[in-house]
Amino acid sequence: MKSVPLKVVRNQEIAEETYEMTLSGELVQEMNRPGTFLHIKIPGSHHVLRRPISIASVNQELGTCTLVYKCTGEGTRALTNVRPNDCLQVLGPLGGQGFPTEEPSTDQEVTLIGGGVGVPPIYFAARRLSERNIPFRVILGFQNEAAVFYEEAFKQLQATDVTIMTDDGSYGEKGTVIDAFLKHDQPSSYIYTCGPRGMLKAVKAAAHPDTRVYVSLEEHMGCGIGACFACVCKTEDETSYVKICTDGPVFQSNEVLL
Amino acid sequence: MSERLAVNLPGLTMKNPIMPASGCFGFGREFSELYDLSLLGAIAIKGTTGEQRFGNNTPRVAESPSGMLNSIGLQNPGAKSVRDNELPFLEQFDVPILANVSGSSPEEYVNVVKTLNDASNVGAFEVNISCPNVKTGGIQFGTDPEQAAMLTSLIKEATNKPVYVKLSPNVTDITAIAKAVERAGADGLSLINTLIGMRFDWRTKKPILANEKGGLSGPAIKPVALRMVYDVRQVTDLPIIGMGGIESAKDVIEFLIAGADAVAVGTANFTNPFACLEIIDELPTWLDQLNASQVSELQRRGVVL
Repeated sequence: MKSVPLKVVRNQEIAEETYEMTLSGELVQEMNRPGTFLHIKIPGSHHVLRRPISIASVNQELGTCTLVYKCTGEGTRALTNVRPNDCLQVLGPLGGQGFPTEEPSTDQEVTLIGGGVGVPPIYFAARRLSERNIPFRVILGFQNEAAVFYEEAFKQLQATDVTIMTDDGSYGEKGTVIDAFLKHDQPSSYIYTCGPRGMLKAVKAAAHPDTRVYVSLEEHMGCGIGACFACVCKTEDETSYVKICTDGPVFQSNEVLL
Repeated sequence: MSERLAVNLPGLTMKNPIMPASGCFGFGREFSELYDLSLLGAIAIKGTTGEQRFGNNTPRVAESPSGMLNSIGLQNPGAKSVRDNELPFLEQFDVPILANVSGSSPEEYVNVVKTLNDASNVGAFEVNISCPNVKTGGIQFGTDPEQAAMLTSLIKEATNKPVYVKLSPNVTDITAIAKAVERAGADGLSLINTLIGMRFDWRTKKPILANEKGGLSGPAIKPVALRMVYDVRQVTDLPIIGMGGIESAKDVIEFLIAGADAVAVGTANFTNPFACLEIIDELPTWLDQLNASQVSELQRRGVVL
């Protein structure tokens, strides 16, 4: 983990209020675990908190990493104004635990479930699974057609199936990722999921008891390195807590109280 | 290490006037992976209570222009664990510890002080009578001069180590509290803690923080902190550890001019985890610019402008 400047290669809107940003620099060499994130300093002096953003993919040959973020407030709005050749101060890669993409064997299947801006770390995991020839299915949920991204990217990774769900039915099928998940009766060995907390909770509840479910949690963060206790989550038995930034952000679903 | 930066405060022999502020640095473990903690003047460790506390629900932080709100709620492993696990870890570094103490009752404060008292690296205690984020204790001791004095004298009886009282800015007259704790035997003052604030999510129409209210810190509060350090300096000769929005060596100079003897850096550690080190590195250049051979020459104790 380091704090260094990375050069912006590209920063463009790929869906409504959703931006894809590619960064280059030596730090990319350290980015190799799906689920880990970068803590990015927002340009300008008004923002005292960095923004944690998941890594969506890395290209070690080009020395670049790609992030996808949603513009939800003033900080991410400022990030949308960053231009190629600008530099961003980046702390990372952060996170003590990512998606265990090295665990499944080729006779096992992984179901990847992403909701909205929770899709990017799922995509990084899909790339790793694809490299290892692990079969995987993908279910992505978005608010509406305008919010959909990365459908084609997942298809190119030779997913067994890519299902898109939208809340209003304007694209793919109308309904939630859980509706799509329940239609498939063959339980996977693993589920990797990231999205709103309610969605993660529903995935956990709907999963077959033998399926190992890994959830990536999001939370407002302070330091990002485990010192400030801002981004904690209670353990499932409620006797303790975990730090999302350093103990996670990916947890097995029975480790945390969703 | 340059002697120019050395500062001596009761219980704290500091190589430089910079310490990370309590609550922004945990117990040092995480930052020790980034740099050598022996380079710091001191370390104010996370507020410690009698028993383990889990703190408030999340979200616990929210940003605001040039600042942030936090409502962590004193999450900490409890005094015994701090004594047995955290303070021994910090012994490998050549840096004095300012042990921040919190509680819900005077008895709890006294118990924490007694539990941590024998740790050899604890140079002094910082009594948090100003935490805005817990329902009982903390802030009521910091808003009433009599209660503040009562708690200070109880803690003074419980330890032979110097006691700094951390003052709340959420009062009408901070000098009244400062004078009350000085009379009760305080050896020094820390100021300021965070200012109570709120933010709302316009979409949900609810407060952003799960605890609804939280403490505002960061550069947004710097002028308030400077004013309070200045005001308190007019009424006491006690050593003052100044804090509130410091993010550069220039800010440190401002606090010294206002009347502080040393400073604590809080929120800036989140913006830039190397903030304390960079400030320490920049300080000699500032001394040169001000034609000061030592930091102590800039401590304008009791100066009236």
